[in-house]
Amino acid sequence: MIYADYNATTPVDPEVRAAMAYALEAGFGNASSLHSAGQEARRLVERARAQAAALIGAQPDEILFTSGGTEADNLAVLGVAENARPDKRVVVTTTVEHQAVLAPCKHLQATGHPVTFLPVDSHGRVSLTALADAAKPEVALFSVMLANNETGTLEPVADVVTVASGCGAPVHTDAVQAAGKLPIDVKSLGVSLLSFSSHKLHGPKGAGALFVRRGVELAPRLHGGRQERGLRPGTENVPAIVGFGKACELAGQRLADDARRVAALRDRFEAQIRSRIPGTRVNGACDARLPNTSNLAFTGLDGEAVTINLDMLGMAASNGAACSAIDHAPSHVLLAMGQDVSDARSSVRFSFGRDNTDEDIEHAVELVVQVANLLRGARP
Amino acid sequence: MSERIAVAMSGGVDSSVAAALLKQEGHSLIGVTLKLQECHDAHGSRSCCGVDGITRAREVAGRLGFPHYVLDCVKDFSDLVLAPAWQEYAAGRTPSPCLLCNERVKFGIMLAWAERLGIPRVATGHYARIERDPAGRPMLLRGCDGAKDQSYFLAGLSPSQLDRALFPVGHLRKPEVRALAKGNALPSAETPESQDACLVEPGHSFSEMLRKRFDAPAHAGHIVDEAGQHVGEHDGFHLFTIGQRKGLPAGAPTRRWVKSISAETGDVVVTANPDELVRTRFSAKNLNWLDGELPAEPLRCSVQVRYRHPSDPATVVAQSDGSLQVTLEEPVKAVTPGQAAVFYDGDRTLGRGWIHVE
Repeated sequence: MIYADYNATTPVDPEVRAAMAYALEAGFGNASSLHSAGQEARRLVERARAQAAALIGAQPDEILFTSGGTEADNLAVLGVAENARPDKRVVVTTTVEHQAVLAPCKHLQATGHPVTFLPVDSHGRVSLTALADAAKPEVALFSVMLANNETGTLEPVADVVTVASGCGAPVHTDAVQAAGKLPIDVKSLGVSLLSFSSHKLHGPKGAGALFVRRGVELAPRLHGGRQERGLRPGTENVPAIVGFGKACELAGQRLADDARRVAALRDRFEAQIRSRIPGTRVNGACDARLPNTSNLAFTGLDGEAVTINLDMLGMAASNGAACSAIDHAPSHVLLAMGQDVSDARSSVRFSFGRDNTDEDIEHAVELVVQVANLLRGARP
Repeated sequence: MSERIAVAMSGGVDSSVAAALLKQEGHSLIGVTLKLQECHDAHGSRSCCGVDGITRAREVAGRLGFPHYVLDCVKDFSDLVLAPAWQEYAAGRTPSPCLLCNERVKFGIMLAWAERLGIPRVATGHYARIERDPAGRPMLLRGCDGAKDQSYFLAGLSPSQLDRALFPVGHLRKPEVRALAKGNALPSAETPESQDACLVEPGHSFSEMLRKRFDAPAHAGHIVDEAGQHVGEHDGFHLFTIGQRKGLPAGAPTRRWVKSISAETGDVVVTANPDELVRTRFSAKNLNWLDGELPAEPLRCSVQVRYRHPSDPATVVAQSDGSLQVTLEEPVKAVTPGQAAVFYDGDRTLGRGWIHVE
């Protein structure tokens, strides 16, 4: 199988697996227990916290472990909004966020919080004019993703931080896709909150983290024990957290090499597809893009048909939507970028990663060309 | 020759074995489970929103080694099957939604979707067979298992739909299908029958479910006998069908059956004489005639007036309005407006029309 859907999830690294196996055996204790078994579990969790912190240039006490990216995003958006002063309740986000941010923002809107959804340009980059217009003293939070999961487009989060500081509001960034693919330093980036996830960087599913800058106040979403400073109560998922920590450590070590190598694979894939399948466009083709993501619009073809045919041939890609009969809902990201419905429906996301080889790319190109030819032949 | 085939998989034993047989023949398959309703609309019907079916179908596809997808047809199913079915009840008739589902959804929406994927054929687990006439045109034949035959439900498929349909279990008997499921260790070997029950909550009426779904008024009215004498009241004529005894006022001196329903007056007419329920003539409208041309001369054939009912000898005469006048050789009980009349020449399906009576 050729796996070209690393933005959906990644295989668990063997070193991560080994660390988790150790945690399952030696770290079975409850990290909150007084005794030695609990102490070992606590040591493992705190080591993982330091590893996760190191990946983004944070202090360990600024890392809250969660069940994953969605929970981290919800905790950031809802946790800040719930704590907001009555005169400072506006949340500003973008139209291209992941549902893990969009849905809590819509929930806030439905419960009386004003929410501003900033538009993006044709590459998917947030409009700086609209951002400046939205910068008012009433803003409680800005939430702008670091890298888009569908197109790989990088958002100008540093600019958001500058604007936000003018109105005294913290910035949250959903870095679920960026972490492990790009170097991140929360100090130079200047954000107050940042979400990232284990399974997108070769760790296990079921673990993630929210970076919370010292001094930023949050209301918890869950109420229970005192774990994670009471902001995320519940007995720690020690093996998943240990795996996440190890994956962060490995990502930090390999990031520069991986990014360079994967970018070369992605660029070769894109160049070959564009030369062999006329009419192929790259969505979000700006310089500021994740090194691994290639979102291609196959003009005149149906993205779902391409994805399913590739699956039949043993290649995994994504068109970002569930199958539906006639009107499959096109990507909200591509629509927000100003594409029409048929362009958006012709798109397929390919996302490469650490384990892809040169041969994979050659093979992938052949399969995509084969499918495009088959579908053009099947046109009535 | 290996073909690209989309197999409609309900998660039940028949479609699972159909998929297994096609896989053994070396075809390139995808499994497709149609999502027909939302969970919150399911009201506890036997198949819920199909989640159980989806899970089982995915197990089977995984076991057999081909990909499986869920095709969201919720809106299409509502617009193309449920809404017209309710229109029939509202007009005092009794619809046949399973035929509509096959014609419009499985071999309509799903076939078109497969075509879009470059997959020319759709297979299902129906008990029916397709053979070719000397000119190569598809003929729809009854399944070999007489007790399970589902050609009645498929008789509305056009020749071009049949041309692309495959019924891999149509030549088998149900026990053979179950044995194959066991032999292949398919997870659905023991699942219960789903056909005919796919939407109906046990103990509840399909028509009442539709009425609530479309937020339509119930037309309460009178129950009268054949002489027009008042017998009782009813809560809505959509709750009745021809030949029904349930729901009529208790305590009557004799047993009674529904003889006819009038949407105009709202009356449900009952009879105490079962001989009054029989009929020898009706018309069949909106025909799907597989030969294309309706017979120019009166044609002797057999007609089946509902599912799981024997077919009865009849003579059909084409009318100038494109309908068929059907004359049964022996009177048949409870010929029900709105149901499909399916015509056969032996095992071969000639076509289907919708029953109307004057």
